[in-house]
Order: sequence, then C-alpha cells, then structure tokens
Amino acid sequence: MTTATLETPIPTKPAKQKVMLVEGNEAAALGVALARPDMVAVYPITPQSSLVEHVAKLIADGKMDADIVDAEGEHSVLSVLQGGALAGARTYTATCGPGLAFMFEPYFRTSGMRLPIVMSIVTRDGITPQSVWGGHQDAMTVREVGWVQVYCETVQEVLDTTIMAFKIAEHHDVMLPVNVCLDGNYLSYGTSRVELPNQEDVDAFMGAKDVNWHVALDPLRPMAVDPLTGGSGGKGPSTFVRYRKGQCRGMQNSLRVIEEVHAEWAQRFGRSFAPLVEEYRLDGADYAIMTLGSMTGAAKDAIDEARDAGKKVGLIKIKTFSPFPVEALLKSLNKIQALGVVDRSVGFRWNCGPMYQETMGVLYRLGRHIPSMSFIGGLAGADITTGHFHRVIEATEKLLSSPAPIEPVWLNEKD
Amino acid sequence: MGTFGGAYNTIAFDANKCDGCGDCMTACATAKVGVGDTARSRIQIVGSADDGFELALCRQCADPKCVTVCPAAALTKNSASGVIDWNGDKCVDCLLCTVGCAYAGIALDAGTGHVAKCDTCDGAPACVPACPHDALTYITTSRIYNEVGDWEDLFAPGLAGCQGCNTELLMRHTLRRTGPETVLATPPGCVPGMGSVGFNGTTGTKVPVFHPLLTNTAAMLAGVKRQYKRVGREVLALAIAGDGGASDVGFQSLSGAAERNEQILFMVVDNEGYMNTGMQRSSCTPYGAWTSTTPVGQGTGSGGMPSQGKTQDAKNLPLIMVNHRCEYVATASTAYMEDLYDKLDKAIAASKRGFAYLHVYSPCTTGWRFPTDQNMEVARKAVETNFVMLWEYNPADGLHFTRPVDDPLPVTEYLKAMGRFRHLSEDQISHIQGKVVENLAFVKQMAHVAKA
Amino acid sequence: MEQTKYLVVGSSHAALEAVTAIRMHDPEGSLTLLTRDPHLPYSPTVLPYVVSGRSAPDGIFLRDEKFFATLGVQLKRGTALKALHVERNAAELADGSEIAYEKVLLATGASPAIPPIPGLDQVAYHVLRTLDDATKLNAAIKNSKRAVVMGAGLVGMHAAENLVKAGAKVTIVEMAKQLTDGYFDATAAGLIAKAFTDNGATILTGSRVVKLASSAIGALLTLENGTTLEADLLLVATGVKPNMEYLAGSQVEHDRGILVSDTMQTSVANVWSAGDCAQAKGFYTDAKIMNAILPDATEQGRIAGMAMAEDPGLKKYPGGVPLNTYHFFGRHAISVGSSKVPEGGEVVTRFDEASGRYLKAIFSADNRLTGIYGVNEFFDGGVMCQLILRRIDLSPVKGRFLAEPMKVGREIMSKTWR
Repeated sequence: MTTATLETPIPTKPAKQKVMLVEGNEAAALGVALARPDMVAVYPITPQSSLVEHVAKLIADGKMDADIVDAEGEHSVLSVLQGGALAGARTYTATCGPGLAFMFEPYFRTSGMRLPIVMSIVTRDGITPQSVWGGHQDAMTVREVGWVQVYCETVQEVLDTTIMAFKIAEHHDVMLPVNVCLDGNYLSYGTSRVELPNQEDVDAFMGAKDVNWHVALDPLRPMAVDPLTGGSGGKGPSTFVRYRKGQCRGMQNSLRVIEEVHAEWAQRFGRSFAPLVEEYRLDGADYAIMTLGSMTGAAKDAIDEARDAGKKVGLIKIKTFSPFPVEALLKSLNKIQALGVVDRSVGFRWNCGPMYQETMGVLYRLGRHIPSMSFIGGLAGADITTGHFHRVIEATEKLLSSPAPIEPVWLNEKD
Repeated sequence: MGTFGGAYNTIAFDANKCDGCGDCMTACATAKVGVGDTARSRIQIVGSADDGFELALCRQCADPKCVTVCPAAALTKNSASGVIDWNGDKCVDCLLCTVGCAYAGIALDAGTGHVAKCDTCDGAPACVPACPHDALTYITTSRIYNEVGDWEDLFAPGLAGCQGCNTELLMRHTLRRTGPETVLATPPGCVPGMGSVGFNGTTGTKVPVFHPLLTNTAAMLAGVKRQYKRVGREVLALAIAGDGGASDVGFQSLSGAAERNEQILFMVVDNEGYMNTGMQRSSCTPYGAWTSTTPVGQGTGSGGMPSQGKTQDAKNLPLIMVNHRCEYVATASTAYMEDLYDKLDKAIAASKRGFAYLHVYSPCTTGWRFPTDQNMEVARKAVETNFVMLWEYNPADGLHFTRPVDDPLPVTEYLKAMGRFRHLSEDQISHIQGKVVENLAFVKQMAHVAKA
Repeated sequence: MEQTKYLVVGSSHAALEAVTAIRMHDPEGSLTLLTRDPHLPYSPTVLPYVVSGRSAPDGIFLRDEKFFATLGVQLKRGTALKALHVERNAAELADGSEIAYEKVLLATGASPAIPPIPGLDQVAYHVLRTLDDATKLNAAIKNSKRAVVMGAGLVGMHAAENLVKAGAKVTIVEMAKQLTDGYFDATAAGLIAKAFTDNGATILTGSRVVKLASSAIGALLTLENGTTLEADLLLVATGVKPNMEYLAGSQVEHDRGILVSDTMQTSVANVWSAGDCAQAKGFYTDAKIMNAILPDATEQGRIAGMAMAEDPGLKKYPGGVPLNTYHFFGRHAISVGSSKVPEGGEVVTRFDEASGRYLKAIFSADNRLTGIYGVNEFFDGGVMCQLILRRIDLSPVKGRFLAEPMKVGREIMSKTWR
C-alpha cells in the first residue's frame, strides 16, 4: 500500500477563516460540504435530523455538489452508499440509536468490504426505555464491528473532525469506514462559534480522491465483490483469515494515520486536537479521571477547581475509541496511581461502563496494579455537571487509600 | 454463428395431437414424387393409437452421422439452411447413410432406387400445412439463438445449478442481452448459489458482480447506478434476485428504489420459495404448496388450519410493483422465450429512464418436485391454466396481456405436474381454481381500466 | 525439425473424423495431417464407382483445401510415413524429413493383400485401393473382353459387375465356398451369385489359382483342378492388409492390426490408431478384431480425436459391429451385426423366392437382436445397429418385428428421440 502524499505544500501560516455561530449538527453539515462527497444518503432521526436537513439545504442551495438519496430507511441509506463507494463515490451519512440498530446488517458489512464511508453518529440513548435524548449507548453497542470511531468534544472539533474523517478513511493504509460521534443534544443542538476553513484549503488538504482502487463494481475492471469465503478446508478459511487480518491491520494502521492527519490539520488550519488521547493537567497528578465526548468540558472545569483546591488530579480524554488507543493510553496511565472512568453508556456484561471495561484491559498491560473504578452518567440526555465531576474526583482520590468498589457509581441516579 | 453453429428452423411434432391419419405423408409423397404413395413419403408416422404415434424424419442433425459415413461426398450439412443436402449426382446408392442414421431419417425410396430424405421443401414443408390437427409445426423460435448466439456469454461455463433448472438459462440469456457494460447484483439465493458470484476467490461471472444482502439489493444497486450517472458513464444496473429476497425481507429496499424511480432493472426469478436454502416458504409460495416450512402432516398449523401445505395465498409482487407506477413492469416465463426477450428489451430501455421490474416465473425441479426434464412443460402449463399470467405495464399504455389465454386448461393440469401439490384435497384444489379465476378477473379489470 | 501438437497420419474417414473431433475441443493446438496419397481426401469405398464411371474422379473428395485452412490444419499430401520413432516422438517421412509430435494418430488404412502365387509377379494385374488404381482400372475395363477377378469380396464383386456391364466376359475366382463370405450368408450369397450368372458372369467358388503366366492377351491362370483361364484384365481383390510397416521395430504393439484400447490408444501413451489399420475390441467379444468397415472407421476416428484432445465428453468405444450394404444389379443386400447365433439364441429366416426377398434375424436367448440380414428387404441399418448396441429387449414386439422390421424398428427408435 502507498502512503498518501500531500498534494500541495502546507502554508507557513494558516489563512484567515470565516467565523460563524452554528449548532453541532450544522457544523457537521458544513464539514461534509467542505469534504466534497459525491453522494449522501439520508433518513431522519432525532437528534440527527437537523444535520441531514442542513445537508439537504446546502445541496438545494447549490453550496454542495452531491447526489442526495432520500432513502426509505437507514438500512438502505448505508446500502446505497456501499453501492456508490464501490462505483468510486466519496460518501456520507448520519444516524443514531434505532436507526443505527436498523442499519446494523450493512453496517457490519461496510468495514469488511473496506469501504471508506464516513458516518456521523449523533449519539442517542435507548432504545428501551424509549429515549430520544443523548447518550453513547448506540455507538458503544456497535464498537466491535470494525469501524473507526472518534468522539468530538466541541462544535469546532465536530466540524474539523468530519473533514479529517474522510482523509483518514480513504488513506490507503486504512480503507475503513469512520464514525464521527457527536453527543446528541449537547453537541447536536449546542450552538457555538466556529471557524470555517476555506474550500480551497480543504481541497488542498484532501488531495485526490481514490476510494475504490481496491474493490470496485466497474465494467472497466470487472471483479466479483464479496464472493463466499470460508468452509472447513481448502483455501477458503485461510482466505477468510487473510481478509480479517487485513481488516485488523487497517484498524491498527489508523492509529498512526489519525495522528498524521491531525498533525497536518493543525499545520494547515492552526487548530490542534489530540488525535487519540488527550492529557489535561496530568503532569504532577497522582490520579486522574477519564472522559469521552462533550462531557469533557465540564470535567476540565472541575479539574481546574480541584487543582486550585490543591488536589493532585488530572484528566485523560479519549478521542479515538475504536481502535482503542492502547499504546497512547499506557503512556498516560504510567503517570498516575489511581483512575476513575466516566462513561455515558453501560456495559451490561461487566456491570460497568464500556470505556472502563476497555481500559481494564489496558491497565493489565501496565505491568503494575493501579486501583480504578467506573462511573456511569449522562444517560438519556442527563447533564453531567462540574458537581458530578467533583464527586468523581473525590471517589477516585479515595482509591489511593481505600479498596476500589466493585459496583459502578451511577451519577444521575439521585438527581 | 457461434462456436456451435447456428440454430435452424425445424419441423416439430406434437405426438399428443397426432391421430395417425397420414395426411402429412400423402402431402410429402405428392410434393416430392408426384404420387400419394405414403410408403414413399420422407416423413413417416409410425406407431399406433394405443402406443402413441411417433415420427421418423430426418432431424437435420448438427453432427450428422449420415454425412460422415457417406463415401461419395453426396451428403453435406448446409450451413445456411441447416438442412442436410443430398446430391443425386454424387450418390452411388451404397446405402451406407442409412446405416449411419439411428432414426431412419434417410432411407431407400423403392420407387427410384435411391435414398431420399426430408429437405424441408426449401423452407416450406408440404407436410406441415397438411396436418389437420396442428401436430406438425415449422418452428421458428430458434431465431433467438441465431440472433444472440454470437453475443458473449457473460457467465463462465460450469455453473452448478440443479439439473433441469431454468435459471441458468435465464441468467445467461439476460446477460447476453445486457452486454458487458453491466453491474450485476444477485442477493443470496440460487443465482449466487450456483457460483455466479463465486467461492473463495473464484467467480462465475465476467461482468462486475456482487452479493448484496438479501435485504438491500435495490438500494446497493441504486448507489452504483447513481455514481455512474453522476460521472457520465452508461452502465446498466441489473439485479437478478429470488422471490424471497424481493417479496419478503428485501421488499422495503425494492419498494423504496421503485418509489424513487432509481434507474435499475430488477429481475425477480420467482421459484415460489427459498429454494436455495432448502425449499422454505416465502410470501410468493402459492396456497396449498408443500414447502419445508409448510409441511404436510396430521396436525394443525397456521391459524388452526390442517397442516396440508401453505394456508395463505401468494403475494402478487408484480401487481404491487405496478402500483409503484414503475417505468416498466412485466411478468414472463422461460417457456415463452420470445415474449421474455421482448420484455427484456423493453425493460432494458426503461431502466435508462427509471425503475424497470421483470418478474420471471421459474419452476424449480428440486423444490417443486417434478422430473428434471419437465421444467419448460411445467412453466408452460402454469401459463396455459392461467395460474400465472403474462402481461406488461407501463404508465403511458397501462397494463395489457402479452399472451392471453382465453380458453385455459383446468388448474389441475398444472397442479398434477408436480409433487408439491400431490396432497391437495378437493377443497384445496377448488380454492386454487377459484383464486385463478379471481386473479384473472382482477388483472383483466386493470387491463380494462388501463385501456379505457 | 517441424513440430506439431497433433499429427494425424492418413486422410480417409478415420483421420477426417479425428481432425473434426480434435478441433471441437481444441481449436488452436497445431495439427498436421499427413497422407501418402497425392489427392485430397477420398473414401476407398467410393472407388468401385470411379471404376464404373458413375463417380467422376474429381467429384469424390470428402474435404477441400478450404476445410483444412479454416480449421488451421496443415495438410501434407503425397508423403508417406516411413518410421515412427516413439522414443523421441518423431515421425520419419519417406522424403527423409521428420516431424516432431506431441500426440499422433495412425489412421493409415490398408493396402491390397497380394497372395503368394507363383507367377503373379510375372503378369500385369490390377488392384483397387487408391484413386490412381481406380482411374487405371476404369480405362482398362473399356477394352477388356475376358476378365478374371480373383476374390469375391465386395471390392471384387463391384469390379466384376462393372466389367460385366462394360461387355467383358467375366470369371470370378473365389477360394471360399460362397461369394461375399463373411459379409452375407449362403442364401444371400446365392441370390447375389444368381444375379451375376443371370448377367453372364462365371463364378468359380471353392477354386484356387495355383499358377500364373503371361499370355498373348495378358495372363494365363491355372486353377487347382487344372483348368486354365486366360484374361486380358486381371484384378486381384483377395483382401487387404493394414498399413503398419512403419512400426517395424517400434514399441507400439501390433498383431494383425495395431492393437488399441477402447479409447483407441495404443500401447504407447501418446500414440492412437483408428480405422482399417486398427485392431480394437469387438462388440460381441472382448477379443480384439479387425473390423475394417467405414462406419466403424468414423466412430474410431472420432473417439481417437476426442481422446487426443482430452475432451471430457469422451465415451468409450462400444466395440465393433459388422455393418455392410451392397448394391448389385439394382438390388441391395444389408447386413448388420453378427452372423453367429448366441447360445440359446434363435434364428428366424424368411425367404420369398418369387420376389427374391430374404430376411434373416438372429436373437439372443433374452430376445435382443444380435444380427439381421436382408436381400431386397429394406430396413434401416442404422436403426438395427442401435437396437443391437442398446441391447433393446424386443420380447413385446418380436412377432411384429419379424413381419415388419423396418416399421417396428422405426417406432422404437423414434420413441427414444423425445
């Protein structure tokens, strides 16, 4: 495989960018437009709806040149994009919650076919108890299906990451679909100041499009896409193994590519986001709390207050959740003696948050024992306030001297 | 012509219609030797009313033994007409040709002392119009083969369909027609099951081909087509799907694509069930039919009904598609290839404008339980009994029958041809006959309304 | 050295069928057809009609140059195979050149067998196996007044009829007790003999020529019983022997002919043989027999070609069934199958002296047809052959079959068509 080369030299100083006040869903739509997809397929669902409405309006107003397919459901939404991608299209959609569940069959298949489709998940809790409000349960449920999943903290990060996602997905060492996760309600509807990159600068950043060099439905180079593979003997199972191993290699390669793309983004546009794991005031900390997505803003405020109060606490934020950034996280965990992990969803099997569950695996690799515990908050649209984070900080601090509780702490249970 | 030469017109014989009257022989002898001596006819009706009549006639073989054993180069296969020509100037009356033929197609004419054989009267055989019962026909359907024989077969040889299956025939003919600028979507079922998409890195298809999910054929294909349209390339997006994937779990994406008028050609091969996976019921399975999930047993099954096959009527998918006001909708049968070809041409043309839907009834020798040599016969009986109807629809002209059957056979003629209906009670048969009448009336009503 | 994937030696029915069969499966592999004959391919069977003048010598060719060009076959005429060097896969030709082959078919046919009779080498005589033989004989019969034909096989009988019709006084000398021995039974032979004697020929069966000498008009023959015959035209038609001298010293096993398996393969894996030079299994016995008849040559040639091209549709040779048709003085005789009556079998004959119609059918104990003979009784030889090959049980129709073999045979075979 080849490594993508830069199409144009990086300017020494980022160009001046247009400043706007937009909600997260509109920021995502603006990012999509700047990435110039050929095809978007849409089906509305709360809290994603305004995102696809913005996309439709951009196309209707001639501000975006893409074929829009108003499909009859999410299953077909992703299926249409698979067909488009196999014919060479850059493709995009967005969904969440029940829509993602309905989409699961083609969703599972997208990564196997190595199609670089970008899809926002405007995260939503549920499905039952019925909820239309935010929470990471939908995205967490599909974390083992081979998509790259990144979580945004701010509206600006939504806009920038949406563009970067295409470049990561289409990198020849990756060739995997990417979910850009933005928290329902808090990011989707949260209005914020953003800087809008210039189209020509984004074009230079994106480089040439080449999405079906590896697998295509094209009469000019006919091939059978996804013939049956496997069986009990012969070359079937080994063929399958090579496909799967290649997928896993693509996932691991994405960790490097995500870092490279974020670095280039920072150079070209002057905005720097931690690509995999962000450390906040971790140096000199005895213990840390760990966050994901938009909750991180309030968490950082709480850390500042705790530091002011003399507590030696820091913060670790995960941006790239799939693949799980094991090596990067190990570096951060090496700096601390105790850890509290805050999830916005549940892991039913382990009776803890899913991110905590993943982190336990990393802690095992640390080579020394540090106490840790799981916090679950922000379900079904609930706010996680600085107050909640102070409880998290206090409980985590106690781990330095007391045994760690087995049960998770449910932050909003008594709100 | 292709590798195997052309197909030619031929004199066909329907033994069921022959009463042994001998008028054909008289006509032949009169035309050929000027007297009505049937012994000198080159067409010989043999057999009896008890055993059935048979035809001894030159078959105009493609690989004629009589020609190979002629020492005098007096017999030649005429590549233009397909007739085996006899040259009297070269013939030495050795009779070796009569030793070569296994069917007495060339024999001694006692009147001349020479051998004589059918020459099809230069394309206007005297015997055919002489038959008072239409037992003889001079068949011209091979024109299809002559037309398409040179077109590239876009499937590899050796697809592993069941013996006697007509789906492979349908696939090969369809792809010959659509040509190489085609992307073929074929969801799980018999079509990929016989190796068209392939196994472990091999493929049976020469155009881009893929397995969609059983559920998303129309949607995935729509994506392919849209992108080629966007970049200005003319590519035909073709689906060949089973009835289960189209009428059941794949129906949503099918309906959605039809409603959006996606420019694709969606062909359903309706074998009335999930035949590839072991003959389970689909919504296209007809009432009363045995399937592996509507078995025949002593107990009661669906809704307290006795377990005597499927207890509901089939979903009429093509009529549902008409209600999407597609660019083109038609039903077809491999027993009526010319009709099918006409519809295929129209469907291909329509798919350049919008959604085209072709529903092909496809008897399944394995799942319906009939002998492997009976596929075309079963397909024909389905039409002759009005169990299925051949019609086409487009928004401008509405619906009309392409092969109306005004004097249908009783539906039992169809039902008795296969094992899946063997258990039917009188009540079940009368239910089916009633549905045939009802369906016919319904479609006729649509055709009438369309005309008005 | 010239190289070819397939080398086919011979140019008559077996060779031509092999070429077609190879090209059905392998349209591209290099193919060379080598024949000692300078002419385009023709059938030895047609030569009596060249002799009679019925067939024009230039109208008998079975294929033209275009046929070979279209199929991509290199045709080498007028060069005989001199020796086959199987150890290095090379064919040495009469002109000293060699052709290297991957696979070779020996379909070299047969030549007249010349009996070792004292004085035969001192007199002028004719034989009939090649087109050149036929044109010479055709010229000679016009001037003949007294002709002797040695041998009453079909070649000799055809020539004798031609000589009779040309006005010669003809004597046929045959060692066996009857004419056409091995083709037709005594009754049929009697009918044939009568036709000849009615037309003025003399037939000496059970007679042997013991000495020949030249005479004023040509040759003087002395028979075993002391009788002498003088001939201005002498035709030696005492049978044929396979052409296989080129195998002298080779590993290819041969007996009376070249021994082949039921796919026409010889004892050397890349060498096949078919037609009059091959000795293959018979239909009635697994013993390998010479069955030098035209229909068998085509069948063997086709099988050999399919085997050489590795055509998966190849079916094994069922064994040779004797098949002969003979047309004489406006009458015809047909024989299909074996004259031998199987154990427990049955022979049914029917003879109408007035019309000269004769039928003989032979059945096995379980009512399968094993042989059928007719004179002036037409039936379809091909249909009968299929009844024999397919071992069709005729029990239900035996009575009708004997009354009307043609009609009932046609009924049975027509049924198999649909």
